[in-house]
Amino acid sequence: MVLTFVEHADGAPDALSLQALTLARGFADGEPVQAVMAGPGAAEAAPALGEYGVATVHVAELDGGYAPQAWARAVAELAGRIGPAAVVAAGSDRGNEILAHAAVMTGAALAANCVAATPGDPAGVTRVRWGGSLLEEARLHGALKLLTVAPHALAMEPAPAGETAIETFGPELRPEDLVVQVSERVDTSTGGLSLAEAPIVVSGGRGVGSAEGFGMLEELAGLLGGVVGCSRAVTSAGWRPHTDQVGQTGTKISPDLYIPCGISGATQHMAGCKGAKRILAINADPDAPILANADYAVVGDVGEIVPAITAELRRVREAS
Amino acid sequence: MSGGVLSAVALLAVLALAGGVFAQRALLLVRLVRMGKPSGIDRSDAVPERLRQEATVVLGQRKLFQRLVPGLMHAFIFWGFLALFPTIVIAMIGIVDRDSTLPWLGEQGWFALLVDVFAVLVLVGVGIALWIRKVVRPRRFEGSHLGEADLILAWITGIVVTLLLWHAARIALGLNEYGAGWSPVANVLSGMFGDGEATEALERVLVWAHVLLILGFLAYLPRSKHLHIFTAAINVYFGRTRARGRLEPLRFDEDLPEEEMRFGIGTVEDLTWKQMVDSMSCTECGRCQEVCPAWATGKTLSPKLLIMGVRDHLFTQGPLALAARASGETYDGPLVAASDDLEEMAWDCVTCGACVRECPVNIEHVDHILDLRRHLVMVESRFPSEAEPMLRDVERQSNPWGKPQAERAAWSDGLGVRVLQPGDPVPEVLYWVGCAASFDERARTSAQSTAKLLQAAGVDFAILGPREACNGDPARRMGNEYVFQAYAEQNVETLNEAGVRKIVASCPHCFNTLANEYPDFGGRYEVVHHTELLAELVREGRLTPTATEQTITYHDSCYLARHNDVLAQPRELAAAVGKPIEMERSGKRTFCCGAGGAHMWMEENARPINEERVREATATGAETLAVACPFCTVMLDDGVQSTGSEMRVADVATLLAEAVETGAPAHEREAG
Amino acid sequence: MNVLVCVKRVPITGGKIVLTPDERAIETRHLGFTISPHEECGVEEAVRIAERHGGSTTVLTLGPAEAEEQLRDTLAIGIDRAVHLVTDGSDWDPESTAAALVAAIEAERAAGHDPDLIMFGNESADNGNYQVGIRVAHALGRPCVTGVKGITMHDGRVRCEQELGGGRDVYDVPLPAVVTVLEGLNLPRYPSVPAKLRARRKPVESSEPARSEPRLELVRLTVPPGRGRQAEVLGEGAGAAPAVVELFKKLGVA
Repeated sequence: MVLTFVEHADGAPDALSLQALTLARGFADGEPVQAVMAGPGAAEAAPALGEYGVATVHVAELDGGYAPQAWARAVAELAGRIGPAAVVAAGSDRGNEILAHAAVMTGAALAANCVAATPGDPAGVTRVRWGGSLLEEARLHGALKLLTVAPHALAMEPAPAGETAIETFGPELRPEDLVVQVSERVDTSTGGLSLAEAPIVVSGGRGVGSAEGFGMLEELAGLLGGVVGCSRAVTSAGWRPHTDQVGQTGTKISPDLYIPCGISGATQHMAGCKGAKRILAINADPDAPILANADYAVVGDVGEIVPAITAELRRVREAS
Repeated sequence: MSGGVLSAVALLAVLALAGGVFAQRALLLVRLVRMGKPSGIDRSDAVPERLRQEATVVLGQRKLFQRLVPGLMHAFIFWGFLALFPTIVIAMIGIVDRDSTLPWLGEQGWFALLVDVFAVLVLVGVGIALWIRKVVRPRRFEGSHLGEADLILAWITGIVVTLLLWHAARIALGLNEYGAGWSPVANVLSGMFGDGEATEALERVLVWAHVLLILGFLAYLPRSKHLHIFTAAINVYFGRTRARGRLEPLRFDEDLPEEEMRFGIGTVEDLTWKQMVDSMSCTECGRCQEVCPAWATGKTLSPKLLIMGVRDHLFTQGPLALAARASGETYDGPLVAASDDLEEMAWDCVTCGACVRECPVNIEHVDHILDLRRHLVMVESRFPSEAEPMLRDVERQSNPWGKPQAERAAWSDGLGVRVLQPGDPVPEVLYWVGCAASFDERARTSAQSTAKLLQAAGVDFAILGPREACNGDPARRMGNEYVFQAYAEQNVETLNEAGVRKIVASCPHCFNTLANEYPDFGGRYEVVHHTELLAELVREGRLTPTATEQTITYHDSCYLARHNDVLAQPRELAAAVGKPIEMERSGKRTFCCGAGGAHMWMEENARPINEERVREATATGAETLAVACPFCTVMLDDGVQSTGSEMRVADVATLLAEAVETGAPAHEREAG
Repeated sequence: MNVLVCVKRVPITGGKIVLTPDERAIETRHLGFTISPHEECGVEEAVRIAERHGGSTTVLTLGPAEAEEQLRDTLAIGIDRAVHLVTDGSDWDPESTAAALVAAIEAERAAGHDPDLIMFGNESADNGNYQVGIRVAHALGRPCVTGVKGITMHDGRVRCEQELGGGRDVYDVPLPAVVTVLEGLNLPRYPSVPAKLRARRKPVESSEPARSEPRLELVRLTVPPGRGRQAEVLGEGAGAAPAVVELFKKLGVA
């Protein structure tokens, strides 16, 4: 049996957790897959997991705001009680955090950001390193294996399981489990689309040439209903704020279309845009690594091409 | 007491007063210069060369004659005052005893003639100066002290007119030993005077007026921009005699005591004595301003205003620093860069050296700018933020683009270029490709062309591939001497271990650093630019290009032409492949592309320099804009695109490769 | 306020990663090295905290002898002293790494350098195990906040801000504590040359850490295939604009 920690929002399971379930089912190899959820709204989101092969959903009753160690305690306690072969979670911020705590609590080893796993002792895992630029094949030892699943590495595959049982439980917390807890929420949203969620991202790199050069990217992004991102070099140069940075240490994006302009495509950047469905690279260098990772490309000067695209897009729209 | 004794006493009193006022100021200036740090460069060597500079630049007014009319203006006044110098003594003797004069010289008719002629020439000079300042009004005077200049011109006129009139009065009174015919001008003027008592009195008034004007001038000079009368000759003598593109290394040592961890120009105490004399030598003529690409494109920098700013700072803060030292306290004054717009000016500079070349008194503006940058970058960590990735990339990844060093030789894929491995036999010539030609997609073509040409000519060469690191120039010109030196040491070690003797460099910046700066770090090689080597191969018949009808205008790179005198070879190559047309500003008076001084990685705060240059190139009507520098390639190609010019920008090596292959440029072949 | 920052020397990979023949490491012969951007921010934050609140700062690393270069870099930013756990440069699993760091921190405490705040990068740039900081926190019995982009010290506590969606979650925890930070926390300074020269004189204490059998055991590394093919070039220069707009139409975004 494999236990999966499932995140949720607005009454529905999170996509990354559903991707994690794909790996969990494979690892279970026919054995049942159970899920554990926590936080307000968990019970409403739980039934949807039946579509993804989950027979039993355990809902932890925890009061108060997000407390990573308390949530991890719930997972660890449940794992101790039901004895799964593995605990799986999404390789999200919280997924990784909770499983790391749970690993200490259960005395298990944790392999973060896996893209494949085969059961056994030791289990075989393939995980991403360098934000996805490298794959590591590794052996995971121990009676209980903890794994998180790299975002966007696997598809969400439906696998109807029939009736889903929902069981609630109240984990026994220790005082230290609640020391770290969200005590306040500061809203910083500007009302616009966030980089992480935008369907289209137009990014600029050093090839844009200057802070002013981003004006043309803003214009194109505006026309397409997207937002502007940038590479790390651009943030370092002070042309754009760090919040615009796409990359391993910036924001990880998963738009339908990603348009990197004047970005060479260093591994640090590619790690941030792996989730993009399609990539259209605009670059002066036909040998730039970005072209090996893009679906489409236009070769030439960004300062020339982007305004031309904007003008053409306007023309076509006006004509129709 | 006789009148003569009275006059002598009065003269002595006035002399003492003027001399005292002069000395008081002169002493301060000397104390300031003595406070200055050593200049680093050896400025006491090469005496014959320095004397030659003195003879040509000072006496011969060589640099002033770079512009004919202003040159004549200054030469008339300067030579005039040299010739008239003895008349000061003659006039003083005349004050004491009107019947005495300087023995021998004062009695010579030919000298009287000389005085007359030069007095007139000085007046002509003043006339030209007034015409330039009041009618022509060139932009080079923007920001100069114009009122002060007028005052000085008036003063000069007064001195010369009183001299002429005094001579006229003496002729009227028949006081001269020689015939009146020797002084044609004074003789004509003497017609205004009678020979009575009125003239006798007037003669006294005129000689006193003349001497008082001169002594007043003496007292005023060291407080004015006209100080250059005393300092210019000194400044020229101690100017750089060679390797104009070379910067002086600083010393970094972890055992350096805390108080010596001062790099570049922080406060007034960090100015070198030469920088102080530089600032005292500036007459605000603005020749530097007129040729400065930053000024020409609307930036804050004017080399003239920069030097004036340094001077103002020196004169306000210098005495405070001297006072602090005298009382054993630590001077803790403001940064030189903090006064006026000096900080912004320092960052506007492209280190093209046009100002230094133009300056009639050999002020070394770029050294001031580099030392200001050195302090800002290395001590304050304050510099244009867009340049920070470049500095970090040079530091960590050995090239300013932050590209993987392992891919340095990727441009040569498929060309069969030998990559020198440790222990390999040393090639006849090591090809130093440089970061730009290795990594920039537009500059790469020139490296590929150069390699193909060397192969075609049968030259035994190799590249270092990933073992070639940035030469350090971008960091050094940004002011980060520390990073530069780490690379200088690393590269010299690599080159020496490989036993390299001769290097051909594609990039004039690499070329300048390797040739002029690496010797300071133990790297002594014969360094040539690729245009020099290729021109030699053409001359020897090892490369036989076929010229086409294409018209070519060649853009001189500052670091090739102005800093290193490589002018002829690229032109030979251009002539061998097409029909050359010169731009107005060419050769050593070339106009920068805008990338020098690490500006390849900095933003411009006003109109782009590259566009200014491209417009000039386009105006020649040439089809091709030939370059010999990868930075120029990128900058001018950008400029061609942004100005909508139709010109093709190509490295001379690329043009030569095309002409050697088939005699037709690639784009024509494609079109055909 | 004593702050300890843990950093890791990693190569600067470019666009293409090449592996060593044994497939257990990256070929680093021509690569530069650094610490991760997260850790750079951690180092900067530690120095700022000490500048503001007094106290001393320590940097701790587990890595090969060459990692002293990165330690000196952090000393140039303003860290006071460095502790170096010298390895042979081979890959360490997260549990062994955490155990070695804990031993070193315990030794620090015994020597009177008890850190009030321990900082990590949220994850290492290379291995990305996402757990070393948390494991160290548990072993020391200290609270741990991860993914932090804002730190304020107040009244013996640390207020940490975490970016999430369109807002920030705030955690306010008592000291001593462990925090893992993200790039964007601050803008790290560009070190001055006097600071670099002083850094060369600062103490670096080195020792050899003990290593246990890894339970996450590296077998080999592979370079994943890219998107499987080179991009389809739609055109060159401004002339490609119509083709791009055609693509927009096809994708339904025009």
